Amino acid sequence: MKPRPLVRELTRLVGPDAVLWRPEDVMLYEYDGLSVTAPPDVVVFPSATEHVVEIVKLAAREGVPIVARGAGTGLSGGSVAAEGGIVVGFARMKKIIEIDIENLRARVQPGVVNMDLTLAVSDQGCYFAPDPSSQKACTIGGNVSENAGGPHTLAYGVTTNHILGLEVVLPDGEVIHAGARFWDRPGYDLTGFIVGSEGTLGIVTEITARLSRKPEAVKTLLAIYDDILDAPGTVAAITARRITPAALEMMDGFTLRAVEEAFHAGFPMDSAAVLLIEVEGLREAVEDNADQIEAICRENHARDVRRAKTVEERDLLWRGRKNAFGALGRISPNYYVQDGVIPRTRLPEMLQFIAQVSERHQLRIGNIFHAGDGNLHPLLMFDARDKGQAVRVTKAAQEIMAKCVEMGGSLTGEHGIGIEKRDLMPLIFSPDDLEAMRNLKAVFNPTGSLNPAKLLPSTKMCGETRVQASTGGVL
Amino acid sequence: MSTAVETMQREFLAIVGPSNVVSDPAACAALNADGKVPQCIVYPTSAEEAAAALRCAAELGLAVIPCRNGTKLGVGNPPRRYDVALSLKDMNHVWHYEPDDLTVTVEPGMKFGDFQHFVGRQGLWLPLDPPGGARASLSGIVATNAAGPLRLFYGAPRDMVLGMKIATVEGKVVKTGGRVVKNVAGYDIAKLLIGSYGTLGVIVETSFKLFPLPAERKTFVIPAGTLGIARDLRRRVLHSALTPLRMVLLDARAAELTLAGTPLERSVKEPEIWLEMAGSARVMERCHREVEGLAKAAGAPFQRLTSDDAETVWTRIADLQSWLPARSAGVVILKALLPDSASEELLSRAEQETENDKARLAGFVQLGVGVLHLCLLYEATTPAVSGLILRLRAAAESLGGVLIIERCHWDLKERLDAWGTAGDDFAVMKKIKEVWDPKGTLSPGRFLGRL
Repeated sequence: MKPRPLVRELTRLVGPDAVLWRPEDVMLYEYDGLSVTAPPDVVVFPSATEHVVEIVKLAAREGVPIVARGAGTGLSGGSVAAEGGIVVGFARMKKIIEIDIENLRARVQPGVVNMDLTLAVSDQGCYFAPDPSSQKACTIGGNVSENAGGPHTLAYGVTTNHILGLEVVLPDGEVIHAGARFWDRPGYDLTGFIVGSEGTLGIVTEITARLSRKPEAVKTLLAIYDDILDAPGTVAAITARRITPAALEMMDGFTLRAVEEAFHAGFPMDSAAVLLIEVEGLREAVEDNADQIEAICRENHARDVRRAKTVEERDLLWRGRKNAFGALGRISPNYYVQDGVIPRTRLPEMLQFIAQVSERHQLRIGNIFHAGDGNLHPLLMFDARDKGQAVRVTKAAQEIMAKCVEMGGSLTGEHGIGIEKRDLMPLIFSPDDLEAMRNLKAVFNPTGSLNPAKLLPSTKMCGETRVQASTGGVL
Repeated sequence: MSTAVETMQREFLAIVGPSNVVSDPAACAALNADGKVPQCIVYPTSAEEAAAALRCAAELGLAVIPCRNGTKLGVGNPPRRYDVALSLKDMNHVWHYEPDDLTVTVEPGMKFGDFQHFVGRQGLWLPLDPPGGARASLSGIVATNAAGPLRLFYGAPRDMVLGMKIATVEGKVVKTGGRVVKNVAGYDIAKLLIGSYGTLGVIVETSFKLFPLPAERKTFVIPAGTLGIARDLRRRVLHSALTPLRMVLLDARAAELTLAGTPLERSVKEPEIWLEMAGSARVMERCHREVEGLAKAAGAPFQRLTSDDAETVWTRIADLQSWLPARSAGVVILKALLPDSASEELLSRAEQETENDKARLAGFVQLGVGVLHLCLLYEATTPAVSGLILRLRAAAESLGGVLIIERCHWDLKERLDAWGTAGDDFAVMKKIKEVWDPKGTLSPGRFLGRL
């Protein structure tokens, strides 16, 4: 097999060891954390902004779609080359360019792994606050594109609250520098607009991020419940008492048992639900808050409230939580995770609704919630080889989404719209709203060549995209 | 009255009704922008009316400045044209308020003070101390991303807005975001509107994330002796376990002016650092010990203030724009945005520059935030001031920042750009402006690059 002219051109730009084009090689880049696949024609690994500029210009000349990709951990298909073309992988742009502790700033290339930034500043008492569950693998470039969240965003905000400036290559090869090292540079907040735009406006090649100071003290509590509805009841009570924990996570009994079998984190096997609650800050404040929270948990019928006594105990609890999706993957051939958001006071109602959906469609559903901010991750278990199950999963997922919308919530709290939910956008946005989005997209990406078939509802016929739902039509 | 004006008034009357179009000269003059006075004020009572009024203005080729109390009308370049003030005064509805979800959706014509009082009853607040203070409207605060020293702990409007509705010059009402605290569905158009100074659309509804009011607050004052000691203290406090809600450095003149007329009035001879902490009595005790220790290490004494008097002072620091002009009529207020580490250096350079010029300088620094207000206390505008402003701008830029002219007499603005130089992202901004406001209906000429 001989490489095509496009591949030869790319090889000339970045060297032969930075281009993949054989089917068996590009296959590894045809998917992310969502269960759809689409093979790119070629994958290229730039090592500098100048490379990206040249690649983008080449794609524009050839009229080929172009898709940026970090670690491929996204859960909405954001890095999948839905219409083929060039995938730009950032594995070689992973330099931490500058760390400025006094101003709490870091300048990084997009391929830097989230956790690596935190590790790099850890001995100076700092960290990067957004902490998606995939933080050991996912890149900051990906976090920026998807406006990633994580358990601790309850207190500290999502990615957009921690990004000050971006270097961006536009689809015509123009390089712009949005934002600055300080807040509020005069002009429109292009940084804020580009964060979370799912790679459809430009290719981010450098990021100026805000670092945070590590708190003096942390306390992690595990509240254990025999009745699942007492867990969201506790969440409401904590919020109503005007306490803001750093994290407030919920897992149901079904999920817990799967996690415990996989990780032996110390979760009780026989409970209906647990809350994982963390408070941070000054030692005295943390002690006060932990005592108040424990009392609230007990008032809300917690069977037991445990506190992590050591750093190891804390890490183990969090390892269980952050790897919960994987644990459920062990007990079911396939699962479909959702990312709806509802007002947090309506969590009990939502849990009952999900139980009904589970029963109606004869599907096991595990509930993992960022309960403190009403962000739901129900995991729908199924076997993709069974067409009937796949159809039921799609139906059940849609019902849950519709319920989120009905409660005044959103389709996605942190995973993004991507390919996955683009056609659900009209559930929450009017034609005028969507037109406004399209017009703004056209300012940056007028031909639509950058990350096509994402975020906005499809206007093309199905046949024009390459997307395959590899798990039996779940979408 | 010209026919064009009559047509305009007739058209607006048809949209908002006769009592909501005002052309009284005194009322119009009160909403002047850099000396330009609108022909009339239109008061829409709904998002749809605001959108219809905008479309009408665009069709008639009129220029509109959206406003409420006019607390920020002096900011920015002089408008190229100004026919109509679109006032959100009558848009005060609360659409959704869920205290236990810590969210609220409001029409943003509401005054900030009234809003804080409203949510305060449930122990909540929007933790901002913006210029304009209680008199500012939510719409103005959001449209200018107005934050004060509290930004250190809580962030800015940009971090608190969950979603909004925007009236466009096409006559549409566009929604972005939502009213839940976490949401990444669709483009975050709100980010473009926040801080756009009314140049893209009119914000007609906003959903905010609310925060619990802190239990107890205490203010600590540390006289710093020199700017060198002040820098040392800033580093020590911000690198300690303490998490101040806000922290400012005031030069001697700024401190003395701020305290004048308050129960804490006194003469001040050296720069001072003011910081505010929150928490339980136990936490406060700990903070007290820590601050005392840090001050001692830096070689400075300190004192602790009761919260009532301190609150008055904090309000004056955050809203210096409202009382400084009464003290010196020709005041020029400059706002530098720069890396925090350069704050004291810029203040020191400003002191040198103004010493030669015999201007009176008052410097207010929001520590940990990178915002510096340099106030030049002139009684009347002098030609020399534009040279001084340019030198201060050059100093800010050489330290990695920018300098905005926040307030000065408008004839100075003919010679100076209020915002400074645009960057390589300006072409994109210009295209965004063309998409949202192709005819230049909204606040023409006032924003960066005279957009």
